[in-house]
Amino acid sequence: MTQVPAERVPARGAYLDYAAATPLDPEVLEAMGPYLTGRFYNPSAPYELARGVRDDVERARATVARLIGARPDNLVFTAGATEANNLAFAAVEGHVVVDAIEHESVLACAGTHARRTVRVGRDGLVDPSAVARAIRPDTELVSIELANGEIGCVQPVREISRAVAEERARRLEAGERTPIYLHTDASQAAGCLSVNVSSLGVDLLTLSAAKIYGPKQVGALWAADDVRLRPLVYGGGQEGGVRSGTENVAGVVGLARAMELACERRAREARRLAALRERLRAGLLERLPWTVVSGPRNARRRLPGLLHVAFAGIEARRLVIALEREGVSVGTGSACAASRMRVSHVLEAIGMPRPLAEGSLRLTLGLPTTEDEVDRAVLAIERAVRSEMARLGLDDAVQAARAAELVAGWR
Amino acid sequence: MGGACPAPAPGARVYCGLSGGVDSALAAALLVEAGYDVTAVYMRNWSRDLPGFRCPWAQELADAERVAVTLGIDLEVWDCEAEYKATVVDYLVDAYARGRTPNPDVMCNQTIKFGTFLERALSEGADFVATGHYGRVARGEDGRVSLLRALDEHKDQTYFLWRVGADALARALLPVGEVRDKAEVRRMCAERGLGVENKPDSDGICFVGPVGIRTFLLDALERRAGDVVEWETGRVLGRHDGAFLFTVGQRRGLDLGGGPARYVVGTDVEKNVVYVTADHDSPALFCREVELDDVRWVSGEPPAPGRYLVRTRHTGELREAELAGGVLRFDEPVRRVAPGQSAVLYDGLRCLGGGIVC
Repeated sequence: MTQVPAERVPARGAYLDYAAATPLDPEVLEAMGPYLTGRFYNPSAPYELARGVRDDVERARATVARLIGARPDNLVFTAGATEANNLAFAAVEGHVVVDAIEHESVLACAGTHARRTVRVGRDGLVDPSAVARAIRPDTELVSIELANGEIGCVQPVREISRAVAEERARRLEAGERTPIYLHTDASQAAGCLSVNVSSLGVDLLTLSAAKIYGPKQVGALWAADDVRLRPLVYGGGQEGGVRSGTENVAGVVGLARAMELACERRAREARRLAALRERLRAGLLERLPWTVVSGPRNARRRLPGLLHVAFAGIEARRLVIALEREGVSVGTGSACAASRMRVSHVLEAIGMPRPLAEGSLRLTLGLPTTEDEVDRAVLAIERAVRSEMARLGLDDAVQAARAAELVAGWR
Repeated sequence: MGGACPAPAPGARVYCGLSGGVDSALAAALLVEAGYDVTAVYMRNWSRDLPGFRCPWAQELADAERVAVTLGIDLEVWDCEAEYKATVVDYLVDAYARGRTPNPDVMCNQTIKFGTFLERALSEGADFVATGHYGRVARGEDGRVSLLRALDEHKDQTYFLWRVGADALARALLPVGEVRDKAEVRRMCAERGLGVENKPDSDGICFVGPVGIRTFLLDALERRAGDVVEWETGRVLGRHDGAFLFTVGQRRGLDLGGGPARYVVGTDVEKNVVYVTADHDSPALFCREVELDDVRWVSGEPPAPGRYLVRTRHTGELREAELAGGVLRFDEPVRRVAPGQSAVLYDGLRCLGGGIVC
């Protein structure tokens, strides 16, 4: 099979929306290729060719499991992170605890249970002691994402796992039989952060291939030994009966390869992205000093490739259109929220004033991002913002005062 | 409508309804070019929120936003859901339940676009409102305002505007009505880089969308099994699932297990019976007279009895008829018009108003 070169970033414009979608890595595509063509066999078929494919599926499972520090038998492949999150919530019937800025798939699942939603700080961070207080004697699941895809905060999952462990210990002493599990959605984190289930102290973990240069509609849910997963999709009993349907062989092989590459590149890529993000932040603040940057101040608590900025009183939806015409693709809020007429639930939860929330851009960098691309984006964003300012008759002094006032009333 | 109405002139404040479609995009562009101070408004109307009913409004709004940014004008989103639901959707369902076949677009133009939208725009300081309708507003020296068919007769939408009165029209600008034809409209949009020129025409009832009126009605009204009866003989030919689903002249949707094509000649929603005929030329499918109900005249004054041009469906043939005492009499029998449809009268190019067919 000939190697398909990665779609290079055009010399003009910029793509700054890697939190929404990543291009397939050529090496991932190469790994997947045979299973879309010659090695097309059904892993459940009895003959040798098919058994070979079955082995490849299991090898992919072992690879992913190893990379998250787990045993392979507890890893279920799914059609994406949303399904994995659904599967995690289907494992319990009782009360659940989530935080307010979880992905919609987690919030929607939590909505089908008795629940407590923990508030987050102005920087989006969850306070572990707030989670501890939200846990009731009948709480069965706590779900806190590892990193947020909109404002980029990295949650203290390790500390939260201690709160869950304490409650587990208390129940044991008290002779209470209700189990309690900790789930984390690591979809947005896996490219840049360690996702070792033991060091995180979680019982369930969601992965997505689509955010780490793998294929869309491929994900996985890892569950600890004592978690009994209940199927949402019934049928031929694949994936240990938890997820029926002929295995997406190319997809899971792609996920495994994408995870391998992510782990190899993680440390270096995280440093590189953090430097690019700093360049982007500095560039914007130099040209538009009244830009409001959101998210945690502590660098260890932020996704390195994500910058969330707000331009007070400027409509981000218009900026997106103006930028699109320059070939610059950026996100505003999460993609889901953008198609509805409301401010993203994440920005609402961190209490961001509406004039800032509606003027918010989410800029996310990825493997193909270069310094030149960042510089082009800075110039394009400045042009778009200034053209809106001109239309609205605003100048830098007005904007600075407005931003300062909004931020003062908020933080 | 309050206050003296200014003559349309550059600098006047215009609120232009922007739907995301081709026609309103061009309307806004032409007004900007003519020097008006334009604010675009996207009216969010009622839409179904059920799985399976994919509502395209988010996409339409995105297109409207792209047009507004390209033209460098403000875009506001107005929530007209409640009024739309009450005056258009409920009206539609209620009329069907009573065995009629209404024109929801007629109600939408009267109560939403030249009702709620116009009133709110004026109260916010607009001098005029504009839409992408194919129609023309003529302003006489004496200040009298009349509604004329569009330059493009094939696209003319005055059939849907007959309930809009002169006082509302005095505040209306319909720039697209002056364009030669739809191809020209698309070409002009493309020239201006508005990005909507290749969108398909949106015919049909907007909020019903691609699922069709039948699916829509079956969600709102109870299915009820009844007989399909041959009009000439009284013989039961088959069963249907609700007489309200059928309209005079309808041919499709009758499940009679083969045989010749049959046409609905009428329905009785109380007895839940659908009458059909196999005779395409059956006298029951024709009429000489149409009685008008709920009449409305653009000028406010009923026209004198006499001969007028009449249209009984959108872009349908203009036929001559005699108006006398709320009844239209055609020279020759015409295909029967379903009760609930509009009959619209014209004097030459001028739309006079009309009535609802009983």
